[in-house]
Amino acid sequence: MNVLVAMSGGVDSSVTAGLLVEQGHDVVGATLKLWGGASDSGCCSVGDVDDARRVAQMLGIDHHVFNYTEEFERRVVEPFVAGHARGRSPNPCIECNRHIKFDLLFERARRLGFDAVATGHHARVLARGGQHFLVRGADDAKDQSYVLGYLREEQLAMLLLPIGTMQKSEVRAEAARLGLRTWDKPDSQDVCFIEASKGREAFLRSRIALTPAAIVDATTGESLGSTEVAELMTVGQRRGVAPARDGERRYVARVSIAERRVEVGRLEEIVKSRIDLDGDSLSFSHEALGDATAVLIQCSAHGRTQAATLHHDGARKWWLTLAQPARPVAAGQSVVLYRGDEPTIVAGAAIVLGR
Amino acid sequence: MTQYYFDHAASAPRRDEVADAMAPFQHGVVGNPSGTHRAARDARRALEEARDEVASFVGAKPAGVIFTAGGTESCHLAVTGVASHHRRTHATTTVVLSKVEHHAVLDAVGLLGRDHADVAARYVDVDAEGVLDLDSLRDALGADTALVSVMTANNETGVVQPLDGVASLVAELSPGAVTHTDAVAAAPWLDLRDVTAPIDMVSICAHKIGGPVNSGALILRRDVALEAVVPGGGQERGRRGGTVDVAAAVGLACAVRLTAKERDEVNERVARYQRQLCDGLATIDGCSLTAPGARRLAGTVHVTFEGLASDELLFLLDQGGVCAAAASSCSSGAGVASHVLDAMGVAPSRARGALRLSMGAETSQDDVDALLVILTSVVSRLRAEGAAR
Repeated sequence: MNVLVAMSGGVDSSVTAGLLVEQGHDVVGATLKLWGGASDSGCCSVGDVDDARRVAQMLGIDHHVFNYTEEFERRVVEPFVAGHARGRSPNPCIECNRHIKFDLLFERARRLGFDAVATGHHARVLARGGQHFLVRGADDAKDQSYVLGYLREEQLAMLLLPIGTMQKSEVRAEAARLGLRTWDKPDSQDVCFIEASKGREAFLRSRIALTPAAIVDATTGESLGSTEVAELMTVGQRRGVAPARDGERRYVARVSIAERRVEVGRLEEIVKSRIDLDGDSLSFSHEALGDATAVLIQCSAHGRTQAATLHHDGARKWWLTLAQPARPVAAGQSVVLYRGDEPTIVAGAAIVLGR
Repeated sequence: MTQYYFDHAASAPRRDEVADAMAPFQHGVVGNPSGTHRAARDARRALEEARDEVASFVGAKPAGVIFTAGGTESCHLAVTGVASHHRRTHATTTVVLSKVEHHAVLDAVGLLGRDHADVAARYVDVDAEGVLDLDSLRDALGADTALVSVMTANNETGVVQPLDGVASLVAELSPGAVTHTDAVAAAPWLDLRDVTAPIDMVSICAHKIGGPVNSGALILRRDVALEAVVPGGGQERGRRGGTVDVAAAVGLACAVRLTAKERDEVNERVARYQRQLCDGLATIDGCSLTAPGARRLAGTVHVTFEGLASDELLFLLDQGGVCAAAASSCSSGAGVASHVLDAMGVAPSRARGALRLSMGAETSQDDVDALLVILTSVVSRLRAEGAAR
């Protein structure tokens, strides 16, 4: 097969390319240049392009750099900034995977004559009954099925995830065996366009005016200080909120940029059993799930799995009811739906509706 | 697979004659040309012979030749050297440059402006054909202008700039200013003795004309006051410290000698290929020639394809054995939006599908024929697969 491997410069995609070469495929590596601004972390910096190119050279495969900086700005960075300005918390990595890697790159791969695209994500594609299903990676701690939640059959049919069956330690051992220089490179953790040394606030401040806000207990009206940046307060978070006079922790219940007000409450006051979904964003991997379907949900990249039921009013409204009340999920975040049976198959994903 | 090389503007094939000329200075004892003994004298002789040849290539005196490690350093020395000297005796220093300069010049000016509040840059517009707008230059020039830098021909589009007009305006409005031209892209094609005659400083580099990389020169036509960027042992008359690389200088000299000798024949032949390419490309769907009305170097054909992505064109051309480029080469290997096309007002939807085909002395009719066949099929394949978004 002619396989295009998306090489980020990290150990996972390096091993992905190496294994496919060993399997006898005609492999070409491509690194996406996504961000032209300052960066010291993430997955696609200049140093990472260099690493990916060197790995490709060592594997004896061609390597290309595809420039998607304009599209990345338009489809990932701008919505990220606009979302925060409205008090929402979009996940840029999920948007990048969805719009850049698995939309633009897949289309490009097809145009350029590739049979398949491979990435170094920790997840698996299961072929069954002529269809292709996304399944969690073998390494629970590293599973990345969440960020691939929006993939559909046409993409899954063309996707190879060779390291999804491996533990991270096995990936590193394979990298060492293949002599790849990225074998001990640390995992990327951060958003690639935000400098870890400066943080989210400095990035947002360079783009928009940030809003200071009062922090107030929603029930008692007690003032719990203030924040310089309401845009960075996320519903459900505890960090940045001082304990109340009663000594108990408080959690963010509601953020209003316009009112310059962050309302907080006790955990038992803020938990919710319902998540409203943006019907327009809802994407099913295959056939749509019907009303009252039992699912498992995950609301962040390494978040806990929760049991829930998907509901549909038959028109535009979709929502989830949780088996156990949980901290609310911020508007703009994505929820990935998994089928309850084994193996854990991704059924779809949607963005949490904002108020 | 047969390789069809259309990226001479990025780097031209090394000439065998150049390698032969350099060989004696790459083995065994090569004296430091600043020394006093026999080996040093031998090296010094080779260096000064090289200096003579480089000087005559641009029609300057040998004493005006400063050997550098390539074109970027040459441009940097011209800009930074003159501006630094000017700052010592003036309250404000203004550098005037075109918007389509190579980053060697743009970034040198950018650094000065960033680090020194008394240094200002004025950027001169080009017209839709990429030709310097002399009215815009007139507006930019003033009494405080220290340096005016306008390239001889553009490295992306091949558009030749009106250096005579630049020199006249500078003489009229900023008589104290020093003029500089980046002639790196023009050197294979134009007789620099004529076209850069009214300009004070000329930058050239070896690897665009069949010589080694990391070899170039800044040539001063008159005694320009210039501060060394890298001081040190006082080499190159105190204008560029560090032991001079004799092999690199000899390689540059050999390359300029061959270029000057073959220039007329190569120009005539490659101009014919250029016409064939322009005619052939005109028949391809959605292809337009950049700067069709401007005077262009014979070796460059720059086109844009509406609705196509350069990355995809280059990928499939590469698979067909064609080496080409989107804009100028850059370190990451990714095509970046061209500041040159932007300055010309080319729509982004076209600029995203830019392709630069650049030829040289060894380009053959077979190369041109093959390129047209491959490019036509690549474009029709991409069109059939649906245009990139």
